[in-house]
Amino acid sequence: MALELMNIGITLHGVALIGPFSLNVAAGEIVTIMGPSGCGKSSLLAYVAGDIGSPLGGTGRVMIGGEDVSRLPLERRNIGRLFQDDLLFPHMTVAENLMFGVPRGPRAEREAMVQTGLRRIGMEDFGNRPPHTLSGGQRARVSLMRALLAKPRAVLLDEPFNKFDAGLRRQMRGYVYAHLAERRVPGLLVSHEIADAPSGGRVLTIRNGELQDA
Amino acid sequence: MRLSRAGPLPIAVLWALPLLAALATVLVMAASHESLIGFVAQPQVNGGILLAVWTGTASTLIALTFAVAIAMTLHGTRFWQHVPLITGAALALPHLAFAIGFGLLIMPSGVVARVLVGGDAPPQWVTTQDQYGLSLIAVLVLKEVPFLLLMLWNTMAQGDAAQRFAAEVKAARSLGHGMGSVWIRVLLPQVLRRTLWPAVIVWVYGVTVVDLALVIGPTQPPTIGAVIWSNLNDADAGINSRGVAGAVVIVAVVVAAAVFAWIGGKMAGPAWRASMTRGPSPLPVSRASGHILTAALLLIYAAVLAVLVLLSFTPRWPYPSLFEGGLSLAPWQRLEASPVVLSIGLALVTSLAAVAMVVLWFESVRQSGDRLLLGLAIAALALPPLTVAAGQYQLFLRVGLTGTHAGLFLVHLTPVLAYAFIVLSGPYRSFDDRISATARSLGASQLRSWCQVKAPLLKAPLLTSLAVGFSVGLVQFVPAQLIAAGRFSTLPMEAVTLSSGGNRSLTAAYALALALPALAAFALSAFFSRPRWR
Repeated sequence: MALELMNIGITLHGVALIGPFSLNVAAGEIVTIMGPSGCGKSSLLAYVAGDIGSPLGGTGRVMIGGEDVSRLPLERRNIGRLFQDDLLFPHMTVAENLMFGVPRGPRAEREAMVQTGLRRIGMEDFGNRPPHTLSGGQRARVSLMRALLAKPRAVLLDEPFNKFDAGLRRQMRGYVYAHLAERRVPGLLVSHEIADAPSGGRVLTIRNGELQDA
Repeated sequence: MRLSRAGPLPIAVLWALPLLAALATVLVMAASHESLIGFVAQPQVNGGILLAVWTGTASTLIALTFAVAIAMTLHGTRFWQHVPLITGAALALPHLAFAIGFGLLIMPSGVVARVLVGGDAPPQWVTTQDQYGLSLIAVLVLKEVPFLLLMLWNTMAQGDAAQRFAAEVKAARSLGHGMGSVWIRVLLPQVLRRTLWPAVIVWVYGVTVVDLALVIGPTQPPTIGAVIWSNLNDADAGINSRGVAGAVVIVAVVVAAAVFAWIGGKMAGPAWRASMTRGPSPLPVSRASGHILTAALLLIYAAVLAVLVLLSFTPRWPYPSLFEGGLSLAPWQRLEASPVVLSIGLALVTSLAAVAMVVLWFESVRQSGDRLLLGLAIAALALPPLTVAAGQYQLFLRVGLTGTHAGLFLVHLTPVLAYAFIVLSGPYRSFDDRISATARSLGASQLRSWCQVKAPLLKAPLLTSLAVGFSVGLVQFVPAQLIAAGRFSTLPMEAVTLSSGGNRSLTAAYALALALPALAAFALSAFFSRPRWR
């Protein structure tokens, strides 16, 4: 399932900030977008997610697997997001956080999915722990698995590795990219660091409002 | 010059000691078997307890539901940032004045009946003092919604919380949850936990309220607060001591009801947790219902104020005419000066003293010591005011403070200081002390650094706590009536007395005389709080 962005333009107070441009992200591919602060990288992700708000604006079509989701509200686009902060809900346990996004169905099946997810991130004994008792790396892994268990059709990564030290950053990158590739989910990554881009992956830069090959 | 190293002393002597001694006194006195049995044996007690728990619980739950519904509607819109202004104006209207105005709206010969029914005589409605306490519930709901909304706003909109909640909303929606589901499963569990104490204070107030119960509450039987009040005001010392016993019984009732609520919460816990993880739901937020609720609330407040103003200038108000006989200053001319002067003076002195004492505390005690003061402040507000006042009355009788200005000052200080501390502690303690240290390093004394640097920067919370303290001091009825011992009269005392008589224009004038200084205090505080360096 591919993510297609067609004639996308981002505006600030009605003035063009980015684009228009078009971009195809194939299933399992992660495209990295770089650029200086304030160039509109995160605003672009917000538009794709369906979350852009005044004074920003956006035009163009967002297609996932051939379906136009541009007019759907955020919660119906089925686009996962990972932010700089893990944003685990503090009043829920780790397992409850994971269960929160698992699509509706028989409870036993959903619980089994959560257990499998916990095993995949090496945290099978952490299900009943509150988030504040976890390390930064553990929280990031839970946050990633929570996004993946919701079975997203695409994932947007908004500088999700920024808060980690070099070692953890490398580890988390490998982790996230492996999971997305395995599930054949297309991803858009926004980052300041070229090292964050998956090796061999496409890297684009926003320069003077245009999306160009880096 | 150091501001003071003896900051805790005035608070200990003038506030904490009288409060704790009063509670000890009421407990010791209530231990008398005879008083307790005498109180419980009164025929109105059982019904009064049920009514009080019903009106307090129903009004708190409805007010909380409405406040949450409005918050859900306004959150994320440009109106959200104006919540403090809107609720501040509503909060500035005292409960008692609002109850009197609301009564004039809905009573059988009130504005609503004149507009909707007409005819030669008022309809045979029972719209106030009804046996189920519905009119009392309505007043409590209408007055508590703005307070609870402001508490929700405080939790959600200040400091890092606003950004954190906004990010959590995005994360939850990207997992497939509609805004309604996000509120129920993500925001409310966190927000309600942090607004537990304000909700408890509202609930205890609703269960134990006296002045509103006397004005608009049921009479056959009255709520337990009114029964105790009647006992406490009886000339017979035996019946009087029953009232003291009742003041402790009401604490037991509140504690028992709280324990039931806690057990209910624990039992519902697993089902509630399971519902949080039932999976994504597209449930939206109904913005229309929230807007309707907000508009209705504003309309009712405007109508209450309008009817108070209209009637205070209308000596004759024959049914079914809405407005007849022309305007006159006669009701205002009948207003006595002494209750006005005494009430405003007491409110002014206690609020200034309370803010000064709290500032002295902050300047001389480490932040870790605030827990002690917070505990006492919560005790002063979450314990039934009737219980605290009954204890103070018995204590002051023994030390000769009843019927004195000093006694009146001390009983008014009890709630005023508690509110001043709660309003001021957050902004004061989060002040960046490096700014003061910079001023000191430039040669300013501690007092000069406070006056010229810290106070101007903390102007808004200092003025807000003064305004809150002033309006709290202005509306005290129970402690004022008990401690005044017939020698003094305050605005709330006059307003409650008049509300049971037939002089509606004079009652409206007294209600407005109570409301206007409070409204003016909030308006002045808002006006002078504007930063002048921007």
